[in-house]
Amino acid sequence: MAAYVVRRVILIALVLVAVSILVFAITTLLPANVAYLILGPFAQPEQVHALEHKLGLNDPVWLQYLRWAGAFLKGDLGESTLMNRPVAPLVFEALGHSLLLAGVSFVLVAVIGIGLGVVAALRHGRALDHTVSIATYLGIAVPEFFWAIIIIVVFAAWLGWLPASGYEPLSAGFSAWAKPLIAPVMTLVFGHLAHVSRLTRSSMIEVMQSPYVMAARAKGLPERVVVLHHALRNALLPAITVLALDFGRLMGGIVVVETIFAYPGLGRLVVFSIQNRDLPTLQAAILVVAAIYALANLVADLLYAFLNPKIRFGDAA
Amino acid sequence: MQLEASRKPLTLQLKVGLAIVGAIVLLGLLAPWVAPHPWDTISMRTRFLAPNATYWFGTDEYGRDVLSRLLMGTRLSLAMGVGATAISLAIGVPIGLASGYFRGWVDEALMRSADVLMAVPPIMLGLLFLAVTPPALWKTALAVGLVYIPQIARLTRSVTLSLAGEDFIQAAKARAETATYILFREILPNAWPPLIVEASLRVSYAILLGSALSFLGLGAQPPSSDWGLMIAEARSFLDRAPWIALAPGAAMCLLVIGINLLGDGARERLDPRLKSRVAT
Amino acid sequence: MLTIDDLTVRYRTLGGEVEALTSVSLFARKGATLALVGESGSGKSTIALAAMGLLPSEAQVTSGRGLIGDDDILAMTQAERRRLRGTRVSLVFQDPFAVLNPSLRIGEQVGETLVHHRGFSKEKAHARAVALLDEVGIVDPAVVAHLYPHELSGGMRQRALIAGALAAEPEVLILDEPTTALDVTIEAQILDLLETLRAKRGLTMLFITHNLGVVKRIADEIAVLYAGQVVERGAKDDVLRAPMHPYTKGLLAAVPRLGGKKKQLAAIPGQLPDLRVPPSGCRFQPRCPFATPDSASPQVLIELGDRQVRCSSATQLRDTAWPEAEEVAPAAASRPPDSRTIVDVRDLTKSFGRGGGLLRRMARASQPPETKAVDHVSLSIAAGEVLGLVGESGSGKTTLGRTILRLIEPTSGTIAVAGETVTNKPQRALEPMRRAAQIVFQNPDSSLNPRKTVRELLGRPIVRFGLAALADIPARVDALLDLVRLPRHYADRYPHQMSGGEKQRVGIARALATQPRFIVCDEPVSALDVSVQAAIVNLLADLRDRLAVAYLFISHDISVVAHLADRVAVMHRGAIVEIGATDAVMERPQHPYTRRLLAAVPRLDSP
Repeated sequence: MAAYVVRRVILIALVLVAVSILVFAITTLLPANVAYLILGPFAQPEQVHALEHKLGLNDPVWLQYLRWAGAFLKGDLGESTLMNRPVAPLVFEALGHSLLLAGVSFVLVAVIGIGLGVVAALRHGRALDHTVSIATYLGIAVPEFFWAIIIIVVFAAWLGWLPASGYEPLSAGFSAWAKPLIAPVMTLVFGHLAHVSRLTRSSMIEVMQSPYVMAARAKGLPERVVVLHHALRNALLPAITVLALDFGRLMGGIVVVETIFAYPGLGRLVVFSIQNRDLPTLQAAILVVAAIYALANLVADLLYAFLNPKIRFGDAA
Repeated sequence: MQLEASRKPLTLQLKVGLAIVGAIVLLGLLAPWVAPHPWDTISMRTRFLAPNATYWFGTDEYGRDVLSRLLMGTRLSLAMGVGATAISLAIGVPIGLASGYFRGWVDEALMRSADVLMAVPPIMLGLLFLAVTPPALWKTALAVGLVYIPQIARLTRSVTLSLAGEDFIQAAKARAETATYILFREILPNAWPPLIVEASLRVSYAILLGSALSFLGLGAQPPSSDWGLMIAEARSFLDRAPWIALAPGAAMCLLVIGINLLGDGARERLDPRLKSRVAT
Repeated sequence: MLTIDDLTVRYRTLGGEVEALTSVSLFARKGATLALVGESGSGKSTIALAAMGLLPSEAQVTSGRGLIGDDDILAMTQAERRRLRGTRVSLVFQDPFAVLNPSLRIGEQVGETLVHHRGFSKEKAHARAVALLDEVGIVDPAVVAHLYPHELSGGMRQRALIAGALAAEPEVLILDEPTTALDVTIEAQILDLLETLRAKRGLTMLFITHNLGVVKRIADEIAVLYAGQVVERGAKDDVLRAPMHPYTKGLLAAVPRLGGKKKQLAAIPGQLPDLRVPPSGCRFQPRCPFATPDSASPQVLIELGDRQVRCSSATQLRDTAWPEAEEVAPAAASRPPDSRTIVDVRDLTKSFGRGGGLLRRMARASQPPETKAVDHVSLSIAAGEVLGLVGESGSGKTTLGRTILRLIEPTSGTIAVAGETVTNKPQRALEPMRRAAQIVFQNPDSSLNPRKTVRELLGRPIVRFGLAALADIPARVDALLDLVRLPRHYADRYPHQMSGGEKQRVGIARALATQPRFIVCDEPVSALDVSVQAAIVNLLADLRDRLAVAYLFISHDISVVAHLADRVAVMHRGAIVEIGATDAVMERPQHPYTRRLLAAVPRLDSP
């Protein structure tokens, strides 16, 4: 098990390095001229030269990369070309807000999604199962931004219960803080519920039809024991993997949701920095997202390895 | 992997899926002739009209008929879905085949690269690709195609792996067949059913991602009637004219549902494991 | 005791309703073992499920009772059935791995019934579980109780399953092919264990199997099941010595006997009837060599002494044996007998290091112990000779076969085929060898490309090696089909349109397409029913005689190997422990492992 953990951590580190190279390559190499990209096509040559010098764009590529990566690891994420402030605090504050949003949504998706999936599987073929199946089928087809639109139209425009955007810090009071969160959380949860619940359902159905469940029944064990003790732990294993992947998709989903609800998180920062050609902020934001995503996957892998006796006590295949 | 002769009757699922997708494709193709009004004519007199007899889905902030714009946008969405998926397949399938068949360092290198691409959530990767060039819809399709290459490659790889373990591949090796022959004449003909199913579902993902990117301003540009763009433009008017946003959104959901029905129906037909088990 | 009384079960399937069991009646005496014999499709597993009240929802019991003692489990509610399961009747399944929950420890799974049925506390149940594991012969039971299923070997898992089944002390034990998935030596141990347990606890056993040798060892009485009906019943010795129903006669004639004369095995032609429309007359009639016009009328169980037979001609056929296969005179070989060596293997070794990705290799602290699947093996095969290769699972026999053909790359050693050394050549240069040496695989479902017709499958080797003009291919394909006794119109069929035996014939035809001098037969009959096995073995023998092709015949089934092979090699843990003329090895085994192997085989002809 220890060897497995070490392997995974090394792999993640390598992947992140590769991602940083990718991000760097795309943002500094692809554009024909970065300075023009930032300043616009009508910039004066002197401004362009000044910016190029400031950003160190005339040095060999690999040197630029190492300089950039080195600074990154020391905590210096560069300076926002738009706001002329250091990027690090900007990114980390946004990260905090996003994690709050994603975290709350994730917990709700996990609990409700798995619950629905398990219940539907146990009532396989009956009314509840069909309802859940149809609902999830429709749910998967709805894109995130449309969920947001529907929620805004229904809850903000029509019913007027919730604000359509905004963010209040906790210091403004719990209710003022919580209210603007409800709509974005609802959007994220609706968007991902279907996926998780579907996968849990099919995993549970498959487990319920497995030979060892039949054997447990053949021993005359009460159905409650068969489901909760025998079936669930095996059905949950794949569900955990799905959830971890889903955390990453949630991180992707916040891009749209934060933009619509004007929520000051990492997703909105990414879009903002693209619209304003703020490359340093963009690079930093994307790398932080990749790191979080990788971390989530690592946690999921470790959890899976811990729960799966074959990996914990045997040789990982 | 056994494949039954597909002489089973079409399930309801397949029929409904085919009907929906067929209808939408048809409407999209015939849009210029079927649309009741011109999609790009600005008319300030007819702004924000609620759905009525003349304008079935109402009009938008520039007085343009929402339905007509919707129909024209169908082509863009379909093109996005199909185009992006074609790119993913064209690059991803050979990668998966090579990875799954040759194993060894080829497999490692390709799959680690796929890991890198998958380390960033798809929409962010798409944003990254599009961040550095002026937006255009074809670039968006290209970016979406690139973003989904790793998934296609992985699926192809796992299908190839399971096929490569079958004895008829060993039999081919025992005939000293070349790798090219084995990949294209023995493996690929057996691999394409699950790939086709996955590809059809990818089309729906591509449509969703593409319109999300357009929504964020990195895809189609005004005055295009791309569905994502339509919804983005309608955001400011959700309180007084929600239909401008609801119509394209509903259309997108309908298309995606149709494609998913089609894909799932096809998978059930082709997957022998779903037959009921009878103890003897 | 266990009584099945006039049971009829129908299944709803995609293809229609199937009547899996028709008026089946069985009786297992208290404390005795009733063996239920049948091949795939006979309905034997359905009986096991019915006796446990575990039939799936697609199944419908249209009539009959299933009595444990005096209680009809089929008439009970789910709750009542649950009370019986584990406490009065237990089921041991076939595949010991799939049936154990991979996430729970062994001790817990063995003691479960005690906790839920007898109200034991967890600790008490665990202690009892350890005692049970000891009783079933597991070494270090306290340690094993803490392990997970994947850490146990196949034999140990089956013992643990038996322990779990017996924990709450049921009166009746049903076993559905419990040893089929196990190696022969392990099988012997499990059978011994079952015998001991039965005697000690006075168990009533219903033992379901298709293996007549096992039946001989363990049964007191036999019931033979064919196409959902009981066709014969009686005491074991009576039935095995003097079978009365034609199907039983055919089954017994199809089993190769160790030390028997090397004549052709008798095969049962044809297939099971379609049970969606069960025939009203005798269900065996289309395949029966003794069929009379009477066979078209419904057949009932006739009592003959203390035996029962479902055959209207039973009395007349009492002493008639299954017709012997025609003695086909071995056709004069096209070449004079060749004493040249066709395959020469010297000191061949294949080691598997534990591979894995780059990171795994980097992360390994020390050199891992490598497994030697093939350990310094030397052997030679003369032209036209059949060398049998016998071993249990994990012995390395399949690896050896494939390494000789360089489908797996050897680690060291030399191989020469048809006089040419092949170990020092790159794969590209192996074409001549590939023409001369071919392979037949075990699994008929995996060995043929599902998307090719038979004509394409058989034609490809010919095209590949340029052995005939394109226009001549259909004729050559026809000739190959004739050779393996398949009708010519099969050329247009796809694999899924053929049965297991037919697919295996196509596999053999494909191997013959390049007119090879040597064929590796890798367990070619192991995946087939006994009645079909016989036909394929006969075919292989016939082809060997006619075409003078040499075989390396690999199998775990000694009886089949002994029937066909001129010489036999016994393989154990990668090494050949004994090799010699078949009769010599079978009758005077030298190596202790060979002796153990031969002793363990459940034989029909032992006293």
